Amino acid sequence: MTMLEIEDLHVTVADKPILKGLNLTVPAGEVHAIMGPNGAGKSTTSYTLAGREGYEVTSGAIRFKGEDIVDLPPEERAAKGMFLAFQSPIEIPGVTNMNFLKAAVSSQARLRGEKEPGPAEFLKMVRAAAKTLNVSEDMLKRPLNVGFSGGEKKRNEVLQMTLLKPYLAVLDETDSGLDIDALKLVAQGVNALRSPERSFLVITHYQRLLDYIEPDVVHILAGGRIVKSGDKTLARALEDHGYDAVIGKAA
Amino acid sequence: MGEMVTTDRLLSGASALRGDAAPWAGSLRDGGRERFTQLGVPDRRKEAWKYSDLARALAHKAGAAPSPRAPLVLEDAFVAVFKDGVLDVAGSILPPGLMPLGMVLADPGSPFAGVLGSVNAAEQAAHPIVGLNTALMEEGFVLSLAAGDKLSAPLHVRFTWTGAASDRHVRLLVDLGEGAQATVLETHDGAPAFSTVVNEVRLASNARLTHVRIDRLSAGARQSAVTLGEVAGGAEYRAFCLSEGAAFCRHEALVALTGESANVEIDGAFLVSGDNHCDNTTVISHISPNTTSRQAFRGVLSGRSHSAYQGCVKVAEDAQKTDAYQMSRALLLSREARIATKPELEIFADDVKCSHGATAGEMDADALFFLRSRGIIEEEARAMLVEAFLEEALDTIAAPTLRDVAASAVRDWLANHTAEVSHGG
Repeated sequence: MTMLEIEDLHVTVADKPILKGLNLTVPAGEVHAIMGPNGAGKSTTSYTLAGREGYEVTSGAIRFKGEDIVDLPPEERAAKGMFLAFQSPIEIPGVTNMNFLKAAVSSQARLRGEKEPGPAEFLKMVRAAAKTLNVSEDMLKRPLNVGFSGGEKKRNEVLQMTLLKPYLAVLDETDSGLDIDALKLVAQGVNALRSPERSFLVITHYQRLLDYIEPDVVHILAGGRIVKSGDKTLARALEDHGYDAVIGKAA
Repeated sequence: MGEMVTTDRLLSGASALRGDAAPWAGSLRDGGRERFTQLGVPDRRKEAWKYSDLARALAHKAGAAPSPRAPLVLEDAFVAVFKDGVLDVAGSILPPGLMPLGMVLADPGSPFAGVLGSVNAAEQAAHPIVGLNTALMEEGFVLSLAAGDKLSAPLHVRFTWTGAASDRHVRLLVDLGEGAQATVLETHDGAPAFSTVVNEVRLASNARLTHVRIDRLSAGARQSAVTLGEVAGGAEYRAFCLSEGAAFCRHEALVALTGESANVEIDGAFLVSGDNHCDNTTVISHISPNTTSRQAFRGVLSGRSHSAYQGCVKVAEDAQKTDAYQMSRALLLSREARIATKPELEIFADDVKCSHGATAGEMDADALFFLRSRGIIEEEARAMLVEAFLEEALDTIAAPTLRDVAASAVRDWLANHTAEVSHGG
């Protein structure tokens, strides 16, 4: 089955064209990486997939499990199994992490017409996931991401991913601001979620993250479209020779 | 527009007052009457009333009857019940140390003769509403605790206003002796046609008073309330004001820190919708050295509501090492809602720390998108963010039971204003 199919996608932000004919297909169960220089459209790709306001699709299609989702609001995309791990997770004082997790899990269940988990069942789910990701009880009680270190914020993102069980997880520069130990822990969490029914789109500037989350396919994004695709050795080539050398005049 | 509102009309009830006041009380009333006549009905031409034109508000007909709401309840508390501004002694559970105002005013030798009408006298002298209230005060109480006493349970002062046409003027005096401690919850529900409520709070050294005030007046209500405070050395006054505004709704906290190491905290939240008006005005006077004050107000404003926060901090020449902080944050849910924020600092000492800040803005788009990207529907995400914004204000209430009551008032408001909250109405 095809998890994600992006076809000739054009996106403008504040009337400025950013994505200019993006084509990308991610089959179920695969991990694809999108690498690209600054300004290539990496963050625009992730925000557009998640349905952020202000990212206007002027033409083209995004099909998620066969359904065009361009007109769906972010919450409905999430309920269908789309998950965006943020480059900079938002801090929300006044909402505890635990209450936020409960609201997200319950709201998704309601949107899908499923039964919401009861309080005891939910707590059990959270504690089990938190334990494997080294998320402390204190981090669950604190306001969402407030006072969390960079690593704690990213672990908290993976915790959300683990609880929400998406079909497609988009990781937007998840490696930014992480030291090597934090990176390993986050990658372990992601790898634990790999399955034949779940796909990942790992968006990153550096090859480093791909040492720990091994991609099936690597795409290079430049000037708002994919200019080259290959296996994981492409990421290594980028690291060794730089974007200019690998994509040449194609950018 | 309606009729002109004159000082004479507002004072017309004065002659009908019971004649059984003691001579000292009679002169106190006369003084108030004189002051009010001299100062006049406050309108926007007076700087302190720029955002709250009482003359204009009173020129309109009184608003509609109150809409019924579930009452706020504080468990295991003393209760002083006021119906339309009249103390219902039989319906109350009054604490020891509380005396109805009428008894105090009638007692020629009352120990409160020199106290009533004199707490933070400097502010009283120039205040038209305190003058009016003093001229016409009849109902209220004096709560007095001797040195070292502690009120064994919080006192809930519960005002219910049914929309009765006549004006009401209520006076409460809380007088705590050295080291005494008390907690007071003051709630106002309903629709006073026009009421003034004046609190006088006198804290002797090391006394502590927590005072939480929750105004849930109906849209047509008009109320002008003033809390006058004097906080002696080492004493602490912690107040929280939660207000939903009304046709006219103003609360002033005028507090003087008169002894070393006195501490005052006045925090608040206001949730103002429709055409409501809400004004929080404070004047904190640091008179002695090493005194601290903190003010943090948060407003959630929707519809065509108009709010004001005026925070004035005065530091006298002798009040070295004063530490004063004030902050105002407003969340604007509609383009028509307005807030005026006016910080004022009058500092005559040279070694002080005074800071202030103010923000007003729309809901954080990043936070909203983050919540929605996790599957939380927009309406719910907006409500969560409004609640979170207020949650931080509520966290300044230290007593858990009082915090719970205030939180339930906030939840109740949110539940009754889902349209404004979720669509930015």
